[in-house]
Amino acid sequence: MSAIILQEEIVHYEVLGRGRPIIFLHGWVGSWRYWIPSMQAASMSYRTYALDMWGFGDTAKNTSRYLLSQQLRLLKSFIDEMGIGRVAIVGHGLGAIVALMFAQENPTYVDRVIAVGVPLKMDQINPRMLQSTPQELADWLLGSTPDSEAARKEAPKADQNAIYHSLQHLASAGIAELPQQLSLPCLFVHGQNDPAIAMTDTAILATFPTSFHFIALENTGHFPMLDMPSKFNRLMTDFMALPSGESPRNLELKDEWKRRIR
Amino acid sequence: MAKILIAEDELDIRNLITFTLRFAGHEIVATSNGAEALEKAIEMADQKDCPDLILMDVRMPRMTGYEACKRMKEDTRLVNIPIAFLSAKGQESEIQEGFAVGAVDYIIKPFATDQLTRKVQELIEQAGA
Repeated sequence: MSAIILQEEIVHYEVLGRGRPIIFLHGWVGSWRYWIPSMQAASMSYRTYALDMWGFGDTAKNTSRYLLSQQLRLLKSFIDEMGIGRVAIVGHGLGAIVALMFAQENPTYVDRVIAVGVPLKMDQINPRMLQSTPQELADWLLGSTPDSEAARKEAPKADQNAIYHSLQHLASAGIAELPQQLSLPCLFVHGQNDPAIAMTDTAILATFPTSFHFIALENTGHFPMLDMPSKFNRLMTDFMALPSGESPRNLELKDEWKRRIR
Repeated sequence: MAKILIAEDELDIRNLITFTLRFAGHEIVATSNGAEALEKAIEMADQKDCPDLILMDVRMPRMTGYEACKRMKEDTRLVNIPIAFLSAKGQESEIQEGFAVGAVDYIIKPFATDQLTRKVQELIEQAGA
């Protein structure tokens, strides 16, 4: 296990590969661990980092750090302390919101963002997200693949307050306006059958700037990176391979693809 | 959980195999060639801490996987440790040579990480670790 002390508390992270940096940020259910297949897929061309945010996985549990602003501070401290340059961020749920807000506050830090299963309005969030324990959420939302099982085992490590406070804070965070405030390339990915976060309305998607692109993954739920890892990872690596600043509008789902060790 | 000794000269691949198997629940000792693997295996055996499985690339500097395997099978401290080779596609002719020096199996490269995890689990179960 790799750990770093940030703001006088322990932060757990893992790193794999060499190349331009990508940071993976988990969502409300689980921890860094469900990014393992994506890190493996990207690791031959990129240096991949995944960290547990405040209140999740093996990072410190401290209720005073559970607001979104504190998770943003954590990400900035991590990038600064690790000496990571301009970075691509892949965020899921809570991690996607943190990625988008961080990019808006720190445009020089972020090259591009993939936002998976991100709600732009509170009414997209199933109320069960606010009422259930981390274990109940994991049992509800995770599938039965080996990687899902690994994520399920990590879920109880989360402090329910970390989930609750970040969701509560969303209402006042103004995330609905974020896409209009960002000029960097951004790919929104959503599991078409996600029961936790409803898909963003097409009328809203139509207002997104041309630097944004939305792709719905069929036959996937809240964890498209686990439900369809080959398809998700192909999409991710195609997006990462675009020249800096290029719109992802022409990206499309391609045949399944699997990173193989040569 | 099993203890697995790896010998692979390419850093990126070594790191990826280590990462993959570590988070599949195994304890990994990584080396970069056959000579290092042999030294490490002897050191672990002397400490009564033998690996449950050894995974070795075939073509490595200093000492090939074959040579390391041959020497391990000649060493009474190491003879019972199952050894599997990692070998590039198109070099299947090497498989027989590997079995001849004592390997129990081959993993053909390129392979996907989930295939590696499954194969390693099979080998460990076969060995009764």
